[in-house]
Amino acid sequence: MESNTIIKLKDVNFYYGQSRALTDISMTFGKNKVTALIGPSGCGKSTLLRLLNRMNDLIDGTRVEGEILFEEKNIYAPDVDPVEIRRKIGMVFQKPNPFPKTIYNNIAYGPKLTGVNAGDLDTLVEQSLKQSVLWDEVKDVLNKSAMNLSGGQQQRLCIARALAMKPDVLLMDEPTSALDPISTAKIEELIEELKKDYTIIIVTHNMQQAARISDETAFFYIGNLIEYNKTEKIFTKPEVKQTEDYITGRFG
Amino acid sequence: MMEEKRHTSLHYEKELQAIKDGIIYLGALTETAIRKAMKSLSDRDTELARRVIRDDDEIDRLDTDLEERCIKILALRQPTAIDLRFITTAIKITGHLERIGDMAVNIAEKVMLLNEEPQLKPYIDLPRMADLVGGMIKDSLDSFVKSDLEQAEKVRRVEQVIDDLNEQIFRELLTFMMEDSKNIHRALLVMQVSKNMERIADHAKGIADMVTYMVTGECVRHQTCSMLE
Repeated sequence: MESNTIIKLKDVNFYYGQSRALTDISMTFGKNKVTALIGPSGCGKSTLLRLLNRMNDLIDGTRVEGEILFEEKNIYAPDVDPVEIRRKIGMVFQKPNPFPKTIYNNIAYGPKLTGVNAGDLDTLVEQSLKQSVLWDEVKDVLNKSAMNLSGGQQQRLCIARALAMKPDVLLMDEPTSALDPISTAKIEELIEELKKDYTIIIVTHNMQQAARISDETAFFYIGNLIEYNKTEKIFTKPEVKQTEDYITGRFG
Repeated sequence: MMEEKRHTSLHYEKELQAIKDGIIYLGALTETAIRKAMKSLSDRDTELARRVIRDDDEIDRLDTDLEERCIKILALRQPTAIDLRFITTAIKITGHLERIGDMAVNIAEKVMLLNEEPQLKPYIDLPRMADLVGGMIKDSLDSFVKSDLEQAEKVRRVEQVIDDLNEQIFRELLTFMMEDSKNIHRALLVMQVSKNMERIADHAKGIADMVTYMVTGECVRHQTCSMLE
């Protein structure tokens, strides 16, 4: 595996029961890059994202073929613990989903479970909230409920919660689709910052968002990877007609 | 562009088509302006020259209108890929066409001065140059409408011929000036007419270069024909 590759997919097929949702996907994700997955609803982009940290395992009747290598090891190998994979490959969802706990405990909950001692927790909470650019807004209300935060703040809290587990990769499934433009801009800015330390893979329906924040863009259609290229190339001169039709709105 | 599949938004589709139509109309106006400017030279028709200068207002108005519409699309539609290349090309082409209109005005102004004095010589190469330049504008705009790279390439080749003709006219006029200093004023005016034609050809080539960019995504503005081959 090339040194700048963190995840590699080899001939991946994915099935929900009898129905195939992904067909022969082979691709690599670069370390410290932001990669956007785009495509119409039902194209398989979110399915692919969930495959990368074994979230699809939680759905009955699903089946994976092929290999997904994370740091050269197949994450679907029998000896691999999915919980450990999800720690290294964190996830942020479409709707902010803080726990009904204090802001502090939202961040501390995961690390506590994995055995981080109480003395280190304060530092970790502060560090994670600073990384997600939320610290200044919440430092005085850490013991208040996370449910009182605005939608944008809740989403940044969820990002902080994911970062507290010290992952290598952050998967984001339409992380700003429920947010207003200002909160969206803050998350996008945050993604730019985070890519220095993390690899980010983001599913988005907002084409301009993909264009703004990602280094690479992959276009999916009916379970197939149609084009995977530098974002600039995809949005100025895509190589495949189908990609062009989709991103210019000549679709359906 | 229009061989493309239609956009899901028909309004967007119409906005892009309207820009294309506007450019074709603007191109027709500039072609007419050059033809009239050259006719005013060969027919020594000062009134026609005045009309060329007057009609430039319409070219300027259309240029502004098209540019505003392109900017509106950039702001409101956020075009990508072929649409983005089409809009950036359209903005550049309107700029080139507006400048071509100005060159026709420059020629008309020189014609008005030339018409105040007896004709220096019969015009042979200048009408030929005018025909070629008119053809270049037409071909460059056709290549835009049809996304035709070959036609764009043809425009680039003719531009070299125009450069040679301009050189030839320059040398010929130099001999007139050396023969008799009374010829200098008129010879300089004719030289400026020729120079303006040569610059119009540059703008037509500029349009062809943008068409190449629109179709291929590759910038060829600063490459010569031999580099492209």
